[in-house]
Amino acid sequence: MDLYLIPLAFSLLAALAPANLVRYVGLTGALASLVSVGVHGAYYMSGWSVVLFEPGQVTTFGLTFKMGYDGISLLMVALVNVVTTLILLSNLNRETASLKGFNALVMLMQFGLIGVFTAMDGIMFYVFWELTLIPIFLIAYWYGAPERKPALLKFFIYTFVGSLAMLLSLIALGNYADNYSYESLVTVELSAKSAFWIMAGFFLAFAIKIPLVPFHTWQPDTYTLSPMAGTMLLSALMLKMALYGMIRWMVPLAPEAMQDFTPIIVILGIIGVVYAALIAIKQSDIKRLFAFASISHVGLIAAGIMLFDKEVLGASLIQIINHSLVAVGLFLAAGILEDRLATRELNQMGGVAKLAPRFGFWFAVIGFASVSVPFSSGFIGEFLLLKGLYGYCWIIGLIAGTTLVFGAVYTFRAYQLSMFGAPSLESFKDLQWNEVLSFLIISVLIVLIGVYPQAILDFVGPSLDKLIQSTQADITILP
Amino acid sequence: MAIDKLILTILALPLIGALINGTMGKSLPKIVVGSIATGVMFVAFALAVLVFNSNHEATFIHLFKVIHLDDLELNARLQVDGLSTLMLLIVTGVGSLIHLFSMGYMKEDEGYYKFFTYLNLFIFAMLILILGSNYFMLFFGWEGVGICSYLLIGFHYSDKEKGMLNGIAARKAFIMNRIGDLGLLIALFLMLMQFGTLEYNEVGNAILAGDLPSGWMLFGITLCLFIGATGKSAQIPLFTWLPDAMAGPTPVSALIHAATMVTAGIFLVVRSNFLFEHAPQTQEIILYIGLATSLMAAFMAMRQNDIKKVLAYSTVSQLGFIFVSLGMGGYVAAMFHVTTHAFFKALLFLGSGSVIHAMHHEQDIRKMGGLKKYIPITHITFLIGTCAIAGLPFLSGFFSKDEILAHALHHNVVIYVIMAISALLTAIYMFRLYFVVFQGEFRGDDHTKHHLHESPLNMTLPLIILAVLSLIGGLLNVPSLFGGNHWLTHYLGHSTLGLNKVAEVHLGDSQTMMLMGVASVLALGALFFAFVKFVKNNSVPESDEQLTGWAKLSANKLYIDELYNALFVKPIEWISAALHRFVEMLFLNRLIDGFTMVIDLSGQLVRKWQTGIVSSYLFWMVTGIVGLMVYYIVKF
Repeated sequence: MDLYLIPLAFSLLAALAPANLVRYVGLTGALASLVSVGVHGAYYMSGWSVVLFEPGQVTTFGLTFKMGYDGISLLMVALVNVVTTLILLSNLNRETASLKGFNALVMLMQFGLIGVFTAMDGIMFYVFWELTLIPIFLIAYWYGAPERKPALLKFFIYTFVGSLAMLLSLIALGNYADNYSYESLVTVELSAKSAFWIMAGFFLAFAIKIPLVPFHTWQPDTYTLSPMAGTMLLSALMLKMALYGMIRWMVPLAPEAMQDFTPIIVILGIIGVVYAALIAIKQSDIKRLFAFASISHVGLIAAGIMLFDKEVLGASLIQIINHSLVAVGLFLAAGILEDRLATRELNQMGGVAKLAPRFGFWFAVIGFASVSVPFSSGFIGEFLLLKGLYGYCWIIGLIAGTTLVFGAVYTFRAYQLSMFGAPSLESFKDLQWNEVLSFLIISVLIVLIGVYPQAILDFVGPSLDKLIQSTQADITILP
Repeated sequence: MAIDKLILTILALPLIGALINGTMGKSLPKIVVGSIATGVMFVAFALAVLVFNSNHEATFIHLFKVIHLDDLELNARLQVDGLSTLMLLIVTGVGSLIHLFSMGYMKEDEGYYKFFTYLNLFIFAMLILILGSNYFMLFFGWEGVGICSYLLIGFHYSDKEKGMLNGIAARKAFIMNRIGDLGLLIALFLMLMQFGTLEYNEVGNAILAGDLPSGWMLFGITLCLFIGATGKSAQIPLFTWLPDAMAGPTPVSALIHAATMVTAGIFLVVRSNFLFEHAPQTQEIILYIGLATSLMAAFMAMRQNDIKKVLAYSTVSQLGFIFVSLGMGGYVAAMFHVTTHAFFKALLFLGSGSVIHAMHHEQDIRKMGGLKKYIPITHITFLIGTCAIAGLPFLSGFFSKDEILAHALHHNVVIYVIMAISALLTAIYMFRLYFVVFQGEFRGDDHTKHHLHESPLNMTLPLIILAVLSLIGGLLNVPSLFGGNHWLTHYLGHSTLGLNKVAEVHLGDSQTMMLMGVASVLALGALFFAFVKFVKNNSVPESDEQLTGWAKLSANKLYIDELYNALFVKPIEWISAALHRFVEMLFLNRLIDGFTMVIDLSGQLVRKWQTGIVSSYLFWMVTGIVGLMVYYIVKF
């Protein structure tokens, strides 16, 4: 229970705390959550399914309230807590950090996300899924750029429509099962047709949230106009709910429809990889550029997940973590540039590396991680994902592989236009301690995973085995 | 020390150097920074010599499993055999000298500690590349050296005039390499599918045991490997980054873009010789790509007026030469030339660095001339380097080039003739360079002339050592004609998988004599021609506008950059803009807007019915009932 209670308690605390302390309340809460997930991780034996909450009562319509985790869920919870800490840490020197609402909402978001990743009941999953929408919407709405409102409305309606489709699928599936607990839902045998529609509902929700091309049009505007912390939450955590949802819910619940959906999702994912990368090449707004880059990167993960074997799922999880860390780093860099130069236009930047060498260095490190060079976690993830896709169909693997080239093009372009050349301005405030620390933590994690990914693979391996087994046999294996 | 401890220490040394300088270098005095970086290199070289002395069999050092999933196993594992030891000696040996040279060359640079950090990091990545026991490790090093290359080409990124250009050159190098890397990556996937492993010796043993994949598969694997090699080793079509890479500081050009990194592609092919031996189509492709690259780059070098650009095209040309050898199965000959080329090309680049240092960063040879009086040590060593690369008798380049030419003659006489022409061009442009820079009268301004000075000892000492190596490097593989015993052939063949199985071409004494005679005549002829043109007639290269015909083509590098720009860069930018404008903004966004509008409209429509007026509801209810009744009446 501590996993839920700590963020919830600190959310309340942040709302009540005196203004001069509030930024530390948020950060303390994040750190406390980090410790608690660390304890869980230390006691976790790989392959276990741990039940956190199960009242044993089933409501009349089949809600069981069941919450718990296995290796995959715990990994995601750890990711949530690490990234939340990073977000609060990197925002510490900003005005937003001193706002009660901001800290309370971030902690609330963390609570919702942990709920999503540990839900063992379809309705609970849906409730937490929707719960996360409120804090992120408010963060973007209250603290975003002036011209944010139409974009946010679009974002809200768009994701809401997707969520409703998912709810329909869940209810339809619930009709076949005793109750909404994960075990019951997973064991349901479906006809090909109903499986198709059920998966379609999930797919729409996830495709919008990830987002996959062509469901992505809300994303660039929302990412660009949200405040830095909002963009970080959206890209580093919120979209991971959808990727996790594909792994945990969409495929295992309706595996019968996989053969229909795999080609569709793989192709949409790959189209996204190339399409978004191509568009990113010419973007002049640095946040928009990174927004499209994000679409490109997650398209590859979504495509890989559909192959649903241990290699690509392990790779997807590594890549999910990598993308979260890199996204925080990139949007931190973009935020620093936007703040201190008062523009997001790359053409008006330049020469920053000379004025702020520390920033130049850390931005470069994150940039390299973003193009998935060896020794970074992205390399391992991309290597295995591309290998999987190449095995699925060589031409798809080849097209997806162009991300190697295009990724380098747009990332280095962004870096060069902002950092290289002779400085045009008088001064640029170099990184502050909390920013250095954020970059350092991100980089250390990226390199550690990049050199020894086996640690993560070992951690989630048995859980993945069970998941895959349950999908293939379509019977309950989960204890 | 046991071999594995030696190797691990060698691997750790440059990394430690980079870490120390990277974290604390800013606050340390320059001499300490430079000494640490250079010191670790010399120690690494000394240990490499110990490895060379103690090791005669292939040794494997298992570090840890990077990825281990069911049937997929990718290891961090090292392999020490003849080939990797040779590369180890070159990288640490030439690397040490270039580090030493850099201590003098970069003395005034404010990014001193950063430079040495990157340089040490580069060595670390390069060592991973050559010491790994599988293609996965190779890929780690392969991209690692690419990163360092990027950082070092763009080293002076904040320069007022050239900062952006340096950055663009660095980016170009990285992106072109990435295209090659994609090929390499696909080769890795294919090998995993085919062999289930990426270990050199497991793949090699499978093949040598006769477990051959289908011809197409082998063709695919080797072709993709070669695509990777064309990127790193600057072959057609991915060569245009290398001349631009000269934007980096000169020691970088010497180390990365001449002696070590660019030979990675050759190393890759030699390492995979067992695959290429069974893929004759790929060998043909390599042969012709190498031949075309060699000739084309030599042609382009003829009219370059930037001292480093001449050397850059020369490097491309020499690498092409080596690939021709690989295409004919001459792996040892290729490695021989890689070795001697590392000596004399590093020497030439460092020499040009010394010239540029003396000339206050002027690189245009038309503003030089007569430098032999002012910088005598640089002059003598540069002359030795020039003679070695031109293939003057009994210098290192003479023997190594000759071995490749012997393969060519054995293979096909037309290829031999084309290669001889390429060698002739090499001799001509190199002597042109030498004469224009060092002979005649000084053509620069008085200010520069006043400041002309010989470089300090830490710069001239590496020149002298490399000059000696360029003189005698040929001894490594002396043919039997001169009482040699092809030492390198035996050394490499002994412990390197596949190389003992490949038949090396060794011509008879009379044929060797004839070959060497022709080569000597060509080299001396070139010397004479260049002497007459640039010393006797004292002609100075024209400015670019005056050139016509072939000369203009050469000076403009056959307009290949412009061609690539028109064929790839512009269209991709155009597609990017078009996609954003039409598909993203006009189509997709409008579609969504339209969709929300439909929802909005239908909402308004339905709202009309929800008037809240009971009589209206009653009206519609009655209408509905009547409608239903009518329906049922009609139906039954």
